[in-house]
Amino acid sequence: MDRRNFFKTAMASVALGALFPASRAFADTDILWMTWENLAKDDYLSPFLSTSDVSLTKTFIGTDDEQFAKLRAGGASSVDLITPGLDKVEFYTASDLLQPIDFDKVPNAALLYDTFKKTPLGKVDGETYGIPFYWGINPIVYRADLMDEEPDWSVFFEGDKYDGKLAMRDYALEGIMIAAMYLGIPEEEMFDLDDAQLAEVKKVLMIQKSKLRTYWNSIGDLTNLFATGEVVCAFSWVPPYYDLRAKGIDMGMAKPKEGVIGWCDTIAVPKGVTGDRLDATFELVNYLLGPEYGKKLAVGGPYAQSTSAARDMLSAEEQEKIFINDLSVMDNFVWKKNPPRYNEWVALWNEVKAS
Amino acid sequence: MSQPVDKIGNWLALPVVAALTALCLAPLLILFVYSFFQVDFVTILHEPTFANYAKVAGSETYRGLIARAFGSALLVVGITAIIGYPVAWFIAKRVVAAKSTFLTLLLVPLYSGDLVRIFAWRVLLGAEGAVNRSLMWLGVTDTPFGGLLFSPLATHIALTYNYLPFMVIGLWLAFESLDDAWTEAAADLGAPAVDRFRRVTLPLTLPGLIAGGLMVFVMVAGDYLTPQLLGGASGITIISAVNDLFGTAFDWPLGSAIAWTMLAILMLCFGVGALAIRRSSFISEGT
Amino acid sequence: MTALHNSTQTKESDRQGRPLLEAKGLFKSYGKVEAVSGVDFSLAENSYVTLLGPSGCGKTSILRMIGGFEDVTSGALVLDNVRMDHIPAAKRPINTVFQNYALFPHLSVAENVAFGLSYQNVPKSEISKRALDALKTVRMDALADRRPRQLSGGQQQRVALARAIVNAPRLLLLDEPLSALDRRMRKDMQIELKELQRRLGMTFLHVTHDQEEAFALSDWIIVMHDGRIEQQGRPEEIYACPSTAYVADFIGGATCVFGEVVEREGDKVVIDTPIGRHLVPGVSTLSTGAPAALCLRPEQLTLAKAGIAAHVKSCVFRGSDWIIECEAADQVMQVVVGVNPPAQGALVHVHFDPDRAWVAAASRGDL
Repeated sequence: MDRRNFFKTAMASVALGALFPASRAFADTDILWMTWENLAKDDYLSPFLSTSDVSLTKTFIGTDDEQFAKLRAGGASSVDLITPGLDKVEFYTASDLLQPIDFDKVPNAALLYDTFKKTPLGKVDGETYGIPFYWGINPIVYRADLMDEEPDWSVFFEGDKYDGKLAMRDYALEGIMIAAMYLGIPEEEMFDLDDAQLAEVKKVLMIQKSKLRTYWNSIGDLTNLFATGEVVCAFSWVPPYYDLRAKGIDMGMAKPKEGVIGWCDTIAVPKGVTGDRLDATFELVNYLLGPEYGKKLAVGGPYAQSTSAARDMLSAEEQEKIFINDLSVMDNFVWKKNPPRYNEWVALWNEVKAS
Repeated sequence: MSQPVDKIGNWLALPVVAALTALCLAPLLILFVYSFFQVDFVTILHEPTFANYAKVAGSETYRGLIARAFGSALLVVGITAIIGYPVAWFIAKRVVAAKSTFLTLLLVPLYSGDLVRIFAWRVLLGAEGAVNRSLMWLGVTDTPFGGLLFSPLATHIALTYNYLPFMVIGLWLAFESLDDAWTEAAADLGAPAVDRFRRVTLPLTLPGLIAGGLMVFVMVAGDYLTPQLLGGASGITIISAVNDLFGTAFDWPLGSAIAWTMLAILMLCFGVGALAIRRSSFISEGT
Repeated sequence: MTALHNSTQTKESDRQGRPLLEAKGLFKSYGKVEAVSGVDFSLAENSYVTLLGPSGCGKTSILRMIGGFEDVTSGALVLDNVRMDHIPAAKRPINTVFQNYALFPHLSVAENVAFGLSYQNVPKSEISKRALDALKTVRMDALADRRPRQLSGGQQQRVALARAIVNAPRLLLLDEPLSALDRRMRKDMQIELKELQRRLGMTFLHVTHDQEEAFALSDWIIVMHDGRIEQQGRPEEIYACPSTAYVADFIGGATCVFGEVVEREGDKVVIDTPIGRHLVPGVSTLSTGAPAALCLRPEQLTLAKAGIAAHVKSCVFRGSDWIIECEAADQVMQVVVGVNPPAQGALVHVHFDPDRAWVAAASRGDL
């Protein structure tokens, strides 16, 4: 989820008209899915497309925010399926852009893991608007050859052994969540920090900044920094761990006991979708939560689907890679939520960076 | 005879001019309007207010970032001018046959794209990079300097490198139209080299310096990628802060207000620059 | 005129005291191209000297070497008995009026003139007064606050002069200063330049390709050709006694009939030409058998009952008189006729007084 420059957002309304092919008007069962490129590979979708009457047009997003901007700017009527983050569904529902999921048409939703069934995120008044689709964790990744012990969150706040060799993602939400976990603030309070807590968070983030080599913005860039040894330990995504191990570098991945940041993307149906298109869309949603897609995603991603549909079809090693061999790991997860005072969080994050 | 043809030309140009004007101005106008709105979670409240501008003026962070952007821009304008003057003079006055070759060489880095150049600097300035290896080989230091990369120093080196061509082109054009007889006349009248530059070359190439300087100034003030990728933990810019406001925070009004504050300052700089160019271009004021 | 022929040509060092500037064996080459090929001359104090020649003859290179804008390839420049060819332009007590004036466009007329004074030992308080005085000298004080671009060519010319002379240089260089002016303005400026030089008592070295201008202004003319000095002397000498056919042709457009010296008789030579054998005064260095040119100026020729038989090729009316081109033995001669020009194609007889003609040196290639 690279930052994109803000013009993309600002220009979204202007550019929108050009984004959607005019030919869509006459194909009733042709549906448009706005999603991440790595979720819509032809190979993942061919079993579905070859057996149904539905044809699919894909449009790819660079960031979640970009997707939201396009929807808000008037794209809701032409898009049939979108892929918002679990913590972002609230944005869409507050803007009245989505319609509830009709579970009768999505039988595979019964296989959702308990965590996703129970989560209040993506729901409004008991109705589900964003149905959890796939998930993962954002762990600490480190150069095991250059560090003596497995780090936890405290490595970003204490000691001076790794000063100037650490990296943190440039993202206010996760940055402040990590500071809160380090400070021992419980999950129930984490997204509703009071002024005193925010002040405390700011104080430790200032300490953190002095220890950082840099804030990272793209995962490819972070992978490079690991490879060249500029950075030995970072709050990261999973890919550098596997990519660099494949290149023979001894990488480590830590899931701190204070809490692991879990992320989850949902699929959601915009409000304007009706009739045949709606039916076709739910058909696709059901496929995306089913075993065929789940296996391909687990092997190709590797990412975990939000349902257990494909779990038994995977080897222990494949399960391990996507953290579903031992489901108790989820007990330790802190799912990202949208904090009510998020604007203040962003301002605080910028204050720290600008100091 | 030519009048009807001219008219046709005007009419043909009209749609293009209109489209360009609309495409350039519309987003800016939208931003301007938004900068007076307010936001409540994801709802834009269409109640005009100056609150956003007050917030920009009242925030030490945003004020500091804006000042830092323009400070950096001024610094880079200064450095590129100091490097650009001899380079432009050399190309304009000393190179005869290979002039286009030199100009092309100057522009080659621009063809390679921002990211490529930034990553090239990573390679040069990194802990394992060419500069550190040379220093260690020379025995200047035993351990690599970490401070080369991911520092304001790295940012400003790369910014200077990136935008130097624009300064050189501005100055080169000015030098091309600078008659050697003027500097010769100054020498003839007894002016030593420093004075020939200060009293003759500088004022007579001022339009080029201002034009090149404005280009560099605007581009440095708007560059967020170079500081982000080379500036390390302190690589935040006002542009990336605006990006945060538009993106993750969904505070379009405040983002617009900052963007317009920047625009207003830039337009002011352009106005002053244009005025200075006009004044220094010695067009007769009419007799 | 005859008296002139009989006297030996003057050396400029004889003219007045010690020389102000001496050029000794001056060479200038640009890569393989030789612009100035070994030139010696000296300039006297308080004189108006012209370097005369067509474009590309090296005269401008000489001026630029004296001004300090070009390096001397070899040879020496000596000013007031001090070698100065290694002294930078800024430190030479020499000022220049540039061909296109090179006035600083960003400065006012007064500021232009004051520019050089800040490098002289002039008290700050006096600079503007002196600049204004210099502008008064060239009658430009009324426009002191204008910018150069607001002035006419002639006005710019005067400002350029004022900017140079205000520094009281030992030597003033003028590079084709009148070439950008129209004919009438040029005549006026010639008079003013000459008058200014007299008044200031300064030495002017003036480069031009216009021989009329050179005659009008100069005490001394140096005629250049192909990087060398062809001849130098007082204007009357150069006009009356051109040392080579090139000078005779370039100055005053003489018809040169090429031939060979048959015999020397004192100051005179017998020259054998396609239009006959004549006994005529000539250059003293000519020896028997040398190639030479019989130089006949239009005003020296008349149409007469007897003389060289020729056919009229054309008649051109000049207002006060006619120029007749006539041909004899493949030689075209120009004759000035006051009234009653002959018809085209008519047979005429061309007469000249041998004592008023002149024999100049020529090279084998001219024959």
